[in-house]
Amino acid sequence: MESTSAQPHGVDMTKGLARIARGWLLGSVVAGGVSAVLLVCQFILLAHVVDDMAFHGAGLTAQRHTFGLILACLVGQVGARFASDILGTRAGLRVARHVQWQLLAHLFAAGPVVCAGVPAGEVVTTVTEGAQALVPYFARYVPSAAMMVVLPLLILAVVAGVDGWSFFVLACTGPLVPVFMAFVGYGAQAVMERRWRELSLLGGSFLDALRGLKTLRLFGRTQDSLDRIAYLADAHGRTTLSVMKVAFLTSAALEFFSSLSIALVAVVFGSRLLAGTADFRSAFLVLLLAPEYFMPLRTFSASYHARQNARAAMDRMGTLFALPALARRYGAQTAYAGGVAQSLTCTGLDVHSPDGTPILQDVTCHFTRNRLTVVTGVSGAGKTTLLNTLLGFLQPTAGRLDACDASGRSIPLDCLRMAWVPQRPLMVFGTVADNLRLGMPGVDDQKLRQAAETADALGFIEALPCGFDTHIGERGSSLSGGQVRRLALARALLQNPDVLVLDEPTAGLDVASAMHVANAIRRCAVGRIVVVATHRQALAALADVLVHVADGTVEMLPTQKETVA
Amino acid sequence: MTMPQNPLGGTHVLNGARGFFRLAEGLRWRLALGVGLASAAALASFGLLVLSGWLLAGAAVAGLGGQAAARAFNIMLPATGVRFFALVRILARYLERVVAHDGALRLGGRLRGWVYARLAPLAPAGLTSMQGGDLLGRFVSDTDRVAAYYTDVALPFCRALLCSVVFVGVFACVLLSAALALAVGLLLGGVLVPLVVGPAMDRLVRLAAEKQSYVQVELAQTLQNMGEYLLWDGARSRTRHWHAQQAVVDGARWKLDALESAARGLIGMITFVTVLGVLVLAASACQAGQLHVAEIPMLVLGVLAAFDVAVPLPMARQAGAEARFALTRLETSSAPAPAPAPVAVVGEAHKPHAPYDLEVQGISFAYPNTITPVFQNASLTIRQGEHVALVGPSGIGKSSLINLLFGFYAPHSGCICFGGVDVSTLRAEDMAAFISVATQDFHLFAGTLRDNLLLAAPQATDQELADVLEAAQLTKFIQSLPQGLQTWVGNDGLRLSGGQARRVAVAQALLRGTPWLVLDEPTEGLDAPLEQALMAALVRRGTRTTILCMTHRQAVLPFMHRVVRVEDACFRPGGGSDMKN
Repeated sequence: MESTSAQPHGVDMTKGLARIARGWLLGSVVAGGVSAVLLVCQFILLAHVVDDMAFHGAGLTAQRHTFGLILACLVGQVGARFASDILGTRAGLRVARHVQWQLLAHLFAAGPVVCAGVPAGEVVTTVTEGAQALVPYFARYVPSAAMMVVLPLLILAVVAGVDGWSFFVLACTGPLVPVFMAFVGYGAQAVMERRWRELSLLGGSFLDALRGLKTLRLFGRTQDSLDRIAYLADAHGRTTLSVMKVAFLTSAALEFFSSLSIALVAVVFGSRLLAGTADFRSAFLVLLLAPEYFMPLRTFSASYHARQNARAAMDRMGTLFALPALARRYGAQTAYAGGVAQSLTCTGLDVHSPDGTPILQDVTCHFTRNRLTVVTGVSGAGKTTLLNTLLGFLQPTAGRLDACDASGRSIPLDCLRMAWVPQRPLMVFGTVADNLRLGMPGVDDQKLRQAAETADALGFIEALPCGFDTHIGERGSSLSGGQVRRLALARALLQNPDVLVLDEPTAGLDVASAMHVANAIRRCAVGRIVVVATHRQALAALADVLVHVADGTVEMLPTQKETVA
Repeated sequence: MTMPQNPLGGTHVLNGARGFFRLAEGLRWRLALGVGLASAAALASFGLLVLSGWLLAGAAVAGLGGQAAARAFNIMLPATGVRFFALVRILARYLERVVAHDGALRLGGRLRGWVYARLAPLAPAGLTSMQGGDLLGRFVSDTDRVAAYYTDVALPFCRALLCSVVFVGVFACVLLSAALALAVGLLLGGVLVPLVVGPAMDRLVRLAAEKQSYVQVELAQTLQNMGEYLLWDGARSRTRHWHAQQAVVDGARWKLDALESAARGLIGMITFVTVLGVLVLAASACQAGQLHVAEIPMLVLGVLAAFDVAVPLPMARQAGAEARFALTRLETSSAPAPAPAPVAVVGEAHKPHAPYDLEVQGISFAYPNTITPVFQNASLTIRQGEHVALVGPSGIGKSSLINLLFGFYAPHSGCICFGGVDVSTLRAEDMAAFISVATQDFHLFAGTLRDNLLLAAPQATDQELADVLEAAQLTKFIQSLPQGLQTWVGNDGLRLSGGQARRVAVAQALLRGTPWLVLDEPTEGLDAPLEQALMAALVRRGTRTTILCMTHRQAVLPFMHRVVRVEDACFRPGGGSDMKN
């Protein structure tokens, strides 16, 4: 997949991410190691005390000291284990957070036009659930991979000091486990790859069917599709199981070797004990340790699917990271102390959509202060693309976009104050004032009223039961379409923008509300560059300058007002 | 609407464990076998360790007793036993996995059917989340989580219960007081610990899941209004705010993990305390002559082995909380929606009859949770056989007419009559017999092109297929594909371009041969010659068919008898362009 090569993912990404939480991961592994050492101590002491009490007739009082030590080891071991777990989880959460932060930053850098090209649901799932899938990987898989080396080696060392034969048994069976698991694992992988299409088709069939429900209903096939879903679910079960039967052999291999070595240790030690060539304490200790020898392997193979989930999530993130960063950066307003923007000029602009389709070709036009410029054109002609380019959400592939002040000096684009009223302005759950202050937190009531008045919104706001403190419901549901537009206009005006861009501000409004909005816009043109895209005659009639977009090119049309203004 | 083939009768609510039991009907033996095998594996593991312990201690005692005692000690029998238990453990573990997963997959299949049958009548109105986020994906993951209830929750708990009884029984045969100690230990670890952490887990799972949905909605909203945030220079503060919300989810997850880990640690402590307790009891019983020396290590190992079944319980308890929450969410979100109430199946007499005229009388409609009306007192009449273009800029609600016609949404006022019948009395499936639609958002299923075409009309012959493909101007494209109609499309399949996909939808609609044909932007994404050819073919084929063509392309209009404009939420008669002049 060539599109994802821009960002490291898969293995590389894993390593990079592990670095972020290195401290926590290290802590988790160290705590795990401490817990392993204490566990072994605990078993040594237990073997000791059992041997003493069973074979040497030691009483409880004589063993009180050892009992205390065992309990101390126990508390330490459980505590270290707990610490290892929570440190691992912390590491995982930290990585997930970091990735989410970077993803969001990249999405904002990509800008709204690029992001609109990716299904929103997919982006949301990748950023939230995808990042969550990294948590078990770092919280469980990585520490358990480390533990898989530490604990068995530790146990081997202890056993080596106790009994040569047992050391031989464990040292031989231990390494065989991963070998056989890998052997069977490759087999399972091969089966999975052979049935890949079937598996992915059936695995996704439920989601596919849910997505296609509307299409099925329109075709009158709902009833048949019920049978189909049952059939597909059945087939999914059968196929998955046929793969699982092979995959489960990996754990069967583990089971085989761990059972075998316990049995071997018991039988071999048994005959040597009988012959009197071994002591019970060693035998008992080896028997206690043998299951623990294989335990980390079991934990590791159980957490293996965490790795697969994380890999899949990282691939999906890779595609998001590969989105081109097309949006202009704003936020340098304070850096520029020159004059106000007098005009905005496009010279020979070529603009492509993010997927490379040319939309605008050789566009030359200008937008001037104190004039209301209306952009017209059939839908799909490129009106919105022109606005997006002005706003900096899309970068032209050729040509220039310049801003100048009254004396003709150029102004850096990222220093322009821009405001935008989209077709569906953001309305959050809260009061009228909350929504007005979204772009300008902390602005005073006086300014709020002023902006509302210019936007022709003051009248209706004051008529609301609590005025500016009235709750507007979910997404402004208690307001009419025209009221929402005027509120958004007032919000844009609060920014005191140099450039105000409005996209179809009167779409979907009845004639009276459209008139209100249009007049308000007309008033805003004083002291700034105002660009409005519309298909409505009524609004176009108010224009000082008309810009017509057709077939990817732009022409500036004269208006009857041209001479007056 | 009734779904006769639904295994649960469609209307039943899956209610907690009882509903689960209903769903498992016919699978119970299989599921029970899984539990049986899991228990057998745990018992074999117990047997392996206990017998090994006894073998070692017995051999040690005999070895210390000198030559005669050593010769008298029959090592063959316990050694065979050890090998037997080892073998049973290997086989039972493997079979348990296969049988249990088989049961879980079958259960999952039934659950999918159940969820699907509940969701089908709600589509598409009930399935579009107004707040974004991947609602359908959530249905899938919730279904999987509920299906995992058997392997992740029921199985470990049943195994723990069954095995504990046997363990305590075996201990009781050896030493009653040790059996009591073990029973107390197991009760504490297997019952009390999950009971104590359970409510907190329930609360945290709910908190994490609910907050997660909230965070997803917020993120979807941020993406939707990203431009505004960028211009306000609010990207950073918005991201920070979102992260603060996400931190709540993370906090809940962290607490859940810590809780589970702590519970596991607690069980570990109880295990060792029980071990020591049993050791003391066994040693004193040995001194009192009630117990053979060799049985002390055996009991100690027995306790260690017995607690293996208790260790997975905290995790199982958490999986249980998750499954229950997923089930509740599935039930509530697939409950009959506020959208039009399901309509009963109507008899033949009440179905639309010729002439199939459409009469829209003064309808008003806005989508739920929106303010902008799509239609306001809008009226429209289309007679059978007419070819009508419905024009207007995109986003104005031309496609909404399809949703209203099929009853996916109900108009707030006014009525729509088709063939003399009020469409609100009909199901979408009834309307489908008269109207074929090529929507913009049609779904291409994962499968071959041929499968997708036949989905629209299962009885279509190869000749019919070839005809509609020709009309949809797809013949050349299909011939260019190495596998022709057998080409795989949909997810993981060949990516069709927008124009190609659109024409596949048109071909599907044509294939159904209904009296009405509704095409939503059929020529979008086509170049001019192809657009002309497609429209000419459509009109040529459909001289007797009523065609309603929603479009914003001028070139389509000359092919139509008349043009209706959607403007100011009304239908207006109109010719050419609504733009310019």
